[in-house]
Formats: sequence, C-alpha cells, structure tokens
Amino acid sequence: MRWWRRRNREQDLERELRSDLELEAEEFRERGLPPEEAERAARRAFGNVVLTKEEVRGMWRWSHWQILMRDLRYATRTLRKSPGYAATAILTLALGIGASTAVFTVVDSVILKPLTYRDSGSLVVAWQRPRFLGFEPTGANVRHVDAWRKRATGFSGITIMRNMSMGLTADGNSSEHPRLVGVVPSFANLFEVLQVRALLGRTFVEADGVKGRENVAVLSYPLWQSLFHGDAKAIGQKIRLDDSPFEVIGVLPANFHFPNANALRPSRSKQPVSGAPEPAVFFPVVFDLSQMEWNGGVGNWVAMGRLKPAVKPRQAEAQLNAIEEQIRQELPASQGDNRPGSTLTSVQPMREAVVGDSRTGLVFLMGAVAGLMLIACLNLANAQLGRALSRERESAVRAALGAAKWRLVWNSLAETSMLSLIGGAAGILFAYVGLDLFRRYSPVDLPRLAEVRINVTALLFSLIVAVLASVISGLLPALRMISTDPQAALQNSNHRTAGSRQSNWVRSWLIGLQVFGCTALLLVTGLFSKSLLHLLRQDKGFQTGQLMVAEVKLAPRTYSTPESRAAFEDAVIANLREIPGVQSAGLVSGMPLEGESWIESVQRLDRPNLETPLINFRWVSPGYFEATGQRLVAGRFLEERDGVVKGVVLSESEARSVWGSESPIGGRVRIEGRTFTVVGVVADSRNTSLKTPPARMAYVHYQDRPPYSNYFLVRSNASPGALAASMRQAIWKYAPNVTIARVKMLDDQVADSLSTERFQTMVLISFGAAALLLAMLGIYGVLSYSVVTRKQEIGVRMALGASRGSVYGLTLAEAGAPVFAGLLTGLGASLLAGRVVQKLLYGVQVMDLPVILAVSGLFLCAACVAAMLPARRAASLDPMDALRSD
Amino acid sequence: MLVLRTLLFGPAHGHQIAKHIQRTTDDLLQIEHGSLYPALHRLERKGWLTAKWEPAVKDQKREFKYYRLTPAGKKQLAVEESKWKRMTGAIAQVMWPAPPDGQEET
Repeated sequence: MRWWRRRNREQDLERELRSDLELEAEEFRERGLPPEEAERAARRAFGNVVLTKEEVRGMWRWSHWQILMRDLRYATRTLRKSPGYAATAILTLALGIGASTAVFTVVDSVILKPLTYRDSGSLVVAWQRPRFLGFEPTGANVRHVDAWRKRATGFSGITIMRNMSMGLTADGNSSEHPRLVGVVPSFANLFEVLQVRALLGRTFVEADGVKGRENVAVLSYPLWQSLFHGDAKAIGQKIRLDDSPFEVIGVLPANFHFPNANALRPSRSKQPVSGAPEPAVFFPVVFDLSQMEWNGGVGNWVAMGRLKPAVKPRQAEAQLNAIEEQIRQELPASQGDNRPGSTLTSVQPMREAVVGDSRTGLVFLMGAVAGLMLIACLNLANAQLGRALSRERESAVRAALGAAKWRLVWNSLAETSMLSLIGGAAGILFAYVGLDLFRRYSPVDLPRLAEVRINVTALLFSLIVAVLASVISGLLPALRMISTDPQAALQNSNHRTAGSRQSNWVRSWLIGLQVFGCTALLLVTGLFSKSLLHLLRQDKGFQTGQLMVAEVKLAPRTYSTPESRAAFEDAVIANLREIPGVQSAGLVSGMPLEGESWIESVQRLDRPNLETPLINFRWVSPGYFEATGQRLVAGRFLEERDGVVKGVVLSESEARSVWGSESPIGGRVRIEGRTFTVVGVVADSRNTSLKTPPARMAYVHYQDRPPYSNYFLVRSNASPGALAASMRQAIWKYAPNVTIARVKMLDDQVADSLSTERFQTMVLISFGAAALLLAMLGIYGVLSYSVVTRKQEIGVRMALGASRGSVYGLTLAEAGAPVFAGLLTGLGASLLAGRVVQKLLYGVQVMDLPVILAVSGLFLCAACVAAMLPARRAASLDPMDALRSD
Repeated sequence: MLVLRTLLFGPAHGHQIAKHIQRTTDDLLQIEHGSLYPALHRLERKGWLTAKWEPAVKDQKREFKYYRLTPAGKKQLAVEESKWKRMTGAIAQVMWPAPPDGQEET
C-alpha cells in the first residue's frame, strides 16, 4: 500500500463499518424496535467501533516510507524548536558542500575528462628528446615523424599538428580588417587519428594532403555560427587565412574541442600565452620533406598518435626509440650529432599532455577541498554531539520508558539526514553561485574553463559528500546515545551538570582537529598570497606602467621579403611616434613575459673555443629600451645605424659570462655565422617570465632580420582605450589588411602571466575564509551549548561570589586548550605540507615567520570573537534565574 | 477458514458473512465485529480475498463492500480444510477411541 492511499483506506474502512451498522440497525427495526432504540442496539451488538478500527489498522502494514516520513516530521519539529543549531549546521554543510562541489566541477572538467574524442585513452603525444636540448621533451621534427608514421607498428595512426593564429577574412570583402583566429595545420589524417566526424560536410582525408589540393578548411562549430550564422551553405564558401584562400569543406560538431596552444605546447619550457585563441580552423598541410632537415626543426610541431589496442605507451616509446636509432645509422655523417642515442623519444598519454602543469595545482586544490569538507563534518559532528548532550535526559527518559535503542538512533539519524538534505540543497545552490563567480571573475589560465558546467557527476559527488557528512556526523552522537545508561543520565541531570568528562574530551578533540585543519589551510593560503605578492612586487628590470603593446603578425606570402617587412615596421614605428602624447615607441620580436624564443649560441670572435650557454635573441628597434625603461649599464642603447653596422646589446649576465670582468664594449661576437659588435650592456630583466631568473638576452636591430611577429610598444599617458584605438589606426594606416592579434596594457600582461598563481591564491583564500568561518561556527556552537548545559553550575558559582571576569575566564578556558593545541599542530603540519608545494612558491620559504605570526594572530582573533559571544551570555546570566530554571 | 468457506457460495459483504456464520451454526458461533473486520483485512492483505464496492443485489441504490474469494484463497481453503479434518480426526480419536475390530461383533 502506498502512503497516499492511506487516507482512502481510512475512508473506506469508515464506510464499510457504517454500512454494517446500518444493516444491523435495519434488522433490529424489522424486529419492531423504534429507530433510535434499534441504532443503539446495533451499536451494542457491534461492540467498540474505535477498537475495531484500531485492530484493522494494525492489520495494515506500515511502510518504511511512512516510518521515515514520521521520523522526518519529528526531526523537523525538533529542529524548528532550535533554529540556531539548525542554521549553524545547515550553513556549515552548505559552505562545505558548495565549495567542494564548485572545485570538484572545475577539477572534473579540467583533469578527469579533458578529451571528448572516441576512445581518447589510446591517444598519445610523442615528443622528441634531442641531446642538444639536454634530452628535454620537445615537439618532434617533421621528417622524424614521417619516418615514425611509415615504420612504427604500434600505432593505428600518427599525425602532426601545431597551434597557430592567423587573420581570417571572409572572401570577397577586402575592406574588412582581418580577425584573429586559432588555426591548426596538420597532416591530412588528423581527424582519422582523432576519430571525429563532421557535423556538416566532411573532414579532410589523406587525399586532401596533396600539393594543390590542400587549401580546404574545416571550421569549428562556434566559428561557423559567428561567420556563417549556422548556414549550411557555408560548405563550399571561400575564406582567407592571412593571404591564402581556403574552401570550407566541413563543420565540426558542437562538442568538439581541440586543445589550444597553452594546453598542448611543443616546448614544455614555453610560457603559456595569454589569450591564446581557441582552435577554430583546421586545414591540411603538405610538407616537402626533401627540403627539410633531419636535425633541428624541433619545438614547432606536435606529433600525435593513436595506439593500437593493447599497446602501452611505453612499448610505443621503445619502438620510436628504435626507429630513431635506425634514422641515425642511415643518415650521412654531416647531418649533425650522430653519436649513439643522440635523440630519444617519449610517448605520453594525450590526456596527461593536455592537462600538463595544471595538474599539481588542481590536485592540491582537491586536497584543500577535502580538508574543508573534513572541517565541515567535524563541525557538524561537534554540534550534533553538543545537541545530543543537551538532549541526553530526554533520550534517557525515552529509553527508560521502553523506547528501543535503535529507534533513538534512527531518530537522531533522521535529524542529521534532514539537515544534510537541506544543507546539500543549499550547498548545490552555493556551488552554482560559486562556479558562476569563478567563471566571471577569475582570469584563469586553465584549459577548458569556458566549458566548465556543473554536471551530474558533480551533483552526485556533492550528494555523496552530503550523505557521508550526515552519516559521519550522525553516527557519533547516535552511538553515544546507545551507550547512555538511562539511570546514570537521569541521575546526572539531578546533579545539575551535563556532559561527562569523556564527552567533553571528545568535543575538545574535535575542536582541536578543526583548528588543526583550519590553521594548516590558512598557513598555506598565507604562503601562496605572499608568493604572489612577491612575484608582483619584485624588480622586473623594466617598467610596465603606461606601456601598451600591440601584436601584429605579418602574412608570410605578402611579406615574404625582409625588405617588405622592414618597410612595414619602419612605417608603423614612424606612425606610432606621431600619435599625440606618445613619449616613446619601439618594436620587439617577442611578447614580454611569454617565455623564451629564438635561442642561439654566441661566440667571441677572439676566443672561438669558449663555450657559453644559449641565449635569447630579440630583434628590437631603437626606442625599445627607452619605452620599456630598461637601465643601461655600459655603452649605449641601439641606434638607427646599428642596423647597418650590426651592433648588439647584451644583458648584464650574458656580458659577464662571456667577458668576465673585462669590458665587452667594442667586442666582436659571431651569431649564426654573422658578426656583431657589442655596443652596449643593459641591466638584466625578467622579460621572459616573472617566475624564473632573468634570461640571458641579446638585442639586435630589427633590420638584421625583420620579424614576422611584431610587438609594437608605446609609452603614453593617454587613456588605454584611446591609446589602443590610435595604435590600431597607426598600424592600419600603412597596411589595412594586417592582423592585429591583440592590443593590451603591459600591466595586464603582467597580471595574465600570473593568472595560474592568482587563481590558486584566490581559491585558497576563499577556502581559507570558509574554513575560518567554519572553525568560528564550531567554537561558537560548542561553547554556547556548554554554556546552556552548565547554566546551573555557573549560577551556583555566581551565587557563591564568582565575578563576571572569572565566568568569562571559565568559558574561554574551555576552548583555549584545544584551540592552542590545534594551532600548534596545524602549523607543524602545514610546514610539512608546505614542503610539497614549495615548487609552486616563488621567493617564499615555507618557514616564513611573518606569515606564521599573521595566520596565528588572525586565527586567535577569530577564535576570541567566536568564544566571546557565549562567554558574554554566561557572564550576563542572572544567578537566581539560572538556579531556578530546570 | 469459516470466512473462506462462507465466501465459497459467492461474494458477500461483512455483515452477510457474520450473519451467515451465525445462522448456519445456529447462533452457536457469534462472530464479533471486533475480530471479523481485522480478519477480513488480514485475509485481503494475504491475497486470499479481494474487496470491491458494488451495488447490493436487492437494492441497487446501496453499495456494499463485497469480498470475493481468489484462486489463492480457494487453495488456502483446501489446505485449511484438510488440516482441520486431520485435527478433528485426531481429537476424535483421543476422545472416542475406535474399538478394536474383533470386539465389535461381540
């Protein structure tokens, strides 16, 4: 029988009995009794109607559901009677569940299933590890990959791809400025390896990878929407990427995502690029392998493969290593390093390669979540325990009256379940809000953050957490009830004290544990915050304020000659200098704070055998140093004539390593077979990354090799918006068809380059705040119960002459011992934890006294505030009142 | 068992069942309502009876809750009957032991 049919059944029974009574009465009437008399006689004959009903009801079975509902109703009633406790517990749960669900969702989407391809577990990335890069894994040489493709048997397919960005224009609209899109050129078998089919049209296949046929493009779903408004006629349309025409042959499904340049970097040491565009256009690329070298040429392309079933990455790696060895033996001696083992490979599951650096941070965040959830559960258990204590007498009376113990346990479990349900629901709400804030306000550099949505898994996860929390926090007090001796409990209340020594001990432990977790979390948060501050405040070696950068990528065909590129650069710099209010303008070939690029070796002409480490090359214009505010150490900055006389400016550490204490000015160096004269030395600067020591740099005039990627720098105190507009204007004035990839203030670039650190710190701070709040709630909850239950005792003390101050002391002391113990052990533990995360910290030691002091101070203040309220309530008790009350 | 046996004649409502048993046993067994209705509901729960509100045979305007025997109920009746027979048989053997064969003729 279902519960909702119960009411029907009641009516049914009523009707059945009534009809029987009527029949009975009729019979009596037929025998000649007057109607009233007959009715009375019928009732007499029938017996006790109510009793009959009761007996019949006893025959109906109580469903478990009905029992559950009854218990839940009871729980709701008791909870409504103590709203303070209920609110504390629900808030605790909501905070814990909300925070953990939000982070779990991020972690789940980013780490646990970043790839949505079929059987993505067998997709791997194969790196080459050449000796000349210290066997560091890097993007493989195309010729080598071609050899792998032909010889390796462990793969069902190997392809090669790279992430680039290009200027896109719809064909036939020449007045339109190009827009920057992410593009992926690849071998024509890319989609065969990924096993992805087109939503519309087709993807490219091997037949497209032929010279003359390769100008076909597959669009991502979002680009198709924005460019063709989802029109199926897009197939067959022409688009232009930089200066090449492409025919659209297909559109990818909406759920297709391809890792962008940050997620899949050919060079692991490369810094993430801020605002790397999502890959939107895919096209096949045809290589003329005979024109390519076997050596070098690494670090641009990424080789990707699909393993045959049952082939392990390790076996595939051994196979590729063997092929590398064959290649080395087949090559003529002139092809560079042919010592045995000069290049190795490494095969990594693609999932791992894509998640990359964010893994440590995310796993760490999961740890923080677990800690937070633990604190929340402890809090709840503590509150429950306090509550069970205050209800000890009630349960003792019930037990004494014969209530089954399991019913008492079930009651308290129902209460916690009720709380968990409400708390869980509130927590999910919190999670939604939290995730929304996450997405909106964190300039995070996590792969696929845009796709992060609360999903069913996360929902389930949070429910599991809620149920666990319920069980953990319900079990302790419930089991306590079982072990309660009713007689002792009843006597206990006669003695007018509550809580045995043992129970106080348990609660102290719980508070201690909570404080322990909270301090550990706070301390790690403190370390991360300090590390971030350090990164932001350290001497960068250049000035970022009021400096704007505009990135222009020149199309390779239109600007194929160095002269055309130089002409563009000359003209744009001149235009930029004419913008009113511009103090200085310059050009550099690499984006500041986006890692190292163009690494070469430098040799002193007079000492050809001196081996020096590789250094970074930047092609810059005169005015670059003035614009960035770099400090001159010796000699002079670059001038216009250095393009002709081939002058080079070195960074201080590079100059020292090559010339030692001698003056390098006027010294001659050989770079890539060309000879340069050192004209100046500038101070070291962290213009490749804020997280690494300053890189060794060599600056050469851009006319030496006019770059395709240009970063124009302008220092001006005009408003950023106006400056950006006039910079675009200045660039397009010379060439309206170049792609301006981005225009941004350098201060924003600084912030973006630290987005991972900022994200981690932000999340940790919110965790820390939540944990602190939870710990305060916990201390407050326990102390206020203690005050309520010790009301009489306190009353007696005050009646006997205890001062208000000593009552304060009494209450505070109760929390004092566990708080201090937790604080100390928490600090100890966080020092250990700190060692694990040391890698993620910059310029901060784990033993950082100011941070430790600040955290301890903060925590003690919070604990005092939490303890003060109940203490005040205790001190303001009216002793007479307290003694009179039961 | 008696209830089931009564219903073997066809569907009946509570009052009829009580009266029938009372009548057939010459008022010896008076079924009390306090035990009849719980018994009916128990039998229904066990699936031996079904119950339905139907108009009365004589007076179509009145509805009564008629109980009907289910196949399972019939089977159960047979089981109960044989059990009861064995029981009464056993009791009878104790109370009035059958005389040995040879003695009957003397």
